[in-house]
Amino acid sequence: MLKPESVAIIGASNTPGKVGYIILKNYLEEEYRGRIYPININDETIQGLRAYKSIRDVGERVDLAVIAIPAMAVPAVLEECGKAKVRSVVVISGGFSEVGNTALQNKLVSIAKKYKMPTLGPNCLGVMDPRSRIDTMFLPENKLSKPKIGGVSFVSQSGAVGSTVLDLIAKEGIGLSKFISYGNAADVDEVDIMEYLLKDEETKVIIVYIEGAKRGKEFLEVGKKVAKKKPVVIIKGGTTAAGAVAAHSHTASLAGSNEAYDAVFRQCGFSIAKDLDDLLYFGKAFATEPEPKGNRVMVITNGGGTGVLTTDAVNNAGLKMAAMSAQSQKELRKAMPMTVNIRNPLDLVGDADEKRYRDALSAISNDKDIDMLIVIALFQTPGADENLAAALVDFKRNSKKPMIVISAGSQYTEERKIMMEDEGLPVYDSPAAAANSLAELLKYSKFRKGIV
Amino acid sequence: MELMEYSAAARLISSYGIRSVESRYVKNADDAINFAGKQGIVLKAISKKALHKSKAGLIKLGLRTPDDISAAFADLSKRAKKFAPYKILAQKMAESGVEIIVGGREDPQFGKLVLVGLGGIYVEAFRDFALRVCPISRFDAKQMIQQLKSRDVVTFHGKKEKMIEDLLMNASKLLSENKMSELDLNPVIVRNDGYDVVDIRILR
Repeated sequence: MLKPESVAIIGASNTPGKVGYIILKNYLEEEYRGRIYPININDETIQGLRAYKSIRDVGERVDLAVIAIPAMAVPAVLEECGKAKVRSVVVISGGFSEVGNTALQNKLVSIAKKYKMPTLGPNCLGVMDPRSRIDTMFLPENKLSKPKIGGVSFVSQSGAVGSTVLDLIAKEGIGLSKFISYGNAADVDEVDIMEYLLKDEETKVIIVYIEGAKRGKEFLEVGKKVAKKKPVVIIKGGTTAAGAVAAHSHTASLAGSNEAYDAVFRQCGFSIAKDLDDLLYFGKAFATEPEPKGNRVMVITNGGGTGVLTTDAVNNAGLKMAAMSAQSQKELRKAMPMTVNIRNPLDLVGDADEKRYRDALSAISNDKDIDMLIVIALFQTPGADENLAAALVDFKRNSKKPMIVISAGSQYTEERKIMMEDEGLPVYDSPAAAANSLAELLKYSKFRKGIV
Repeated sequence: MELMEYSAAARLISSYGIRSVESRYVKNADDAINFAGKQGIVLKAISKKALHKSKAGLIKLGLRTPDDISAAFADLSKRAKKFAPYKILAQKMAESGVEIIVGGREDPQFGKLVLVGLGGIYVEAFRDFALRVCPISRFDAKQMIQQLKSRDVVTFHGKKEKMIEDLLMNASKLLSENKMSELDLNPVIVRNDGYDVVDIRILR
């Protein structure tokens, strides 16, 4: 489904704006290297390609069929896919159990099972894999930024959350491995997807938006296996809805259905995001940062107030401000002007330039009493420019410790932020986002080592 | 849904190594006075028709003298009439300590869940609890305790942590191996020298 050598687009269209038009156009524009077979009962050619009346007319092996036609017509077409020995299917079309049409969905499931043909959806965006240039989404190129290639796979039950977060993944400079929007989970469900991503070597980190798991016990089992190998950040939608548990005991009145999901995520060793910001921030840190050895954070800043706020955020996240070694302090005193107090947070003061940052970082680079680094670079100050961005990237390249940059601002800052993120150095807007993300790295590292 | 009879429930949890305070059904006030000996006791009217004993005024606490016990027995018998048939259970008073809740329920999605939290009257007020799917590992039990805001209070600054872990693992085993929809051990009184389960409710 994600590495197909041939794709049939059922419902491909010549009419701009139609779902079947955009899907095909995306394939053509992204220079997908496999064979494309547009299927449409009316037209002879579609967007310059030869069209087929039916999937059975193709006569060649089809690895993936993307179905974007009205719901009522889907079962018959799926049946044809089965007869044509199509190897996997994505049903984009909506109009199934999400609108109460369970019978139609059951029909779809039984056909998929009959032909042992993995079928994703219905009511979904489908899949995207920037490596194989597969993209079954019906979202216009110009409206959605596509993320760069990377190691983060994003699984979303919801198409709307899926497309928004995907756009933000691109904005945050996070590299994407797979995007899987699975909609109603009629045939392929959360458990199947997690099993796939567990084995997928291109996937280093998984982020998930989920509203419910169909097979609870299997989900717990596969979840445990996945988190032992790679970090999973998860958010569950619908946590405020009253859990439908008839409570006769204190236990049942405390522990409803949402609490059960929370318990399962913790038991798996997942990172729990409380909102979409967390989902992105945590995912971003896991994507680039190594495991921390401990909880001691060094903060370096060119703005006193931001340093203070970051100290608060570090403590609130359950981490500790590092106490520098005597050696680091001695070297810093030698290298820094008298206006700089040698302590943590280390305020390099408002006139700090690239060189002062380089000197400060080099003085503490081998300090064994520091486990993680937060470097605040406020680009509004006179000394901070792209050379500072380059200095931080250089330091990061030779450092084995997690390191996060905080830079908040508008266009000038944004441009320097992109420079750093393109080189794999994560940049955050706020102290809380940075500190909480480091805390998640530590929590996961402890989970992996079996430390409570 | 049916409430499991108290002494059967006490026997069941004891077969999983979970201790509850010594208790016995009593037929009359003298019976209760004999059971009490020099210790204080608690009297509870038990009926399948009254799921919430304290709300229905069916618990008498801190009875120490024969007079107290006789008066409490008489009053309890009167109150319990509308819940007939009923029985009166006498329990040795547990020494005071920190009250926790250990519980569980059957979840339609994930199966049996086990819970630990700050107990007694604090259950609803603070909602400080941790939950996992059964069966739990020792790592899970440790994590559950660490998840509680009240962990230092509940574990006496870590001194009783191992004991509570064992209790949770036993409760997880009890839940996994028996048919029950809900379990409340609340309160469980934790002390420096051990713990006592003071009330047991098993719903099947």
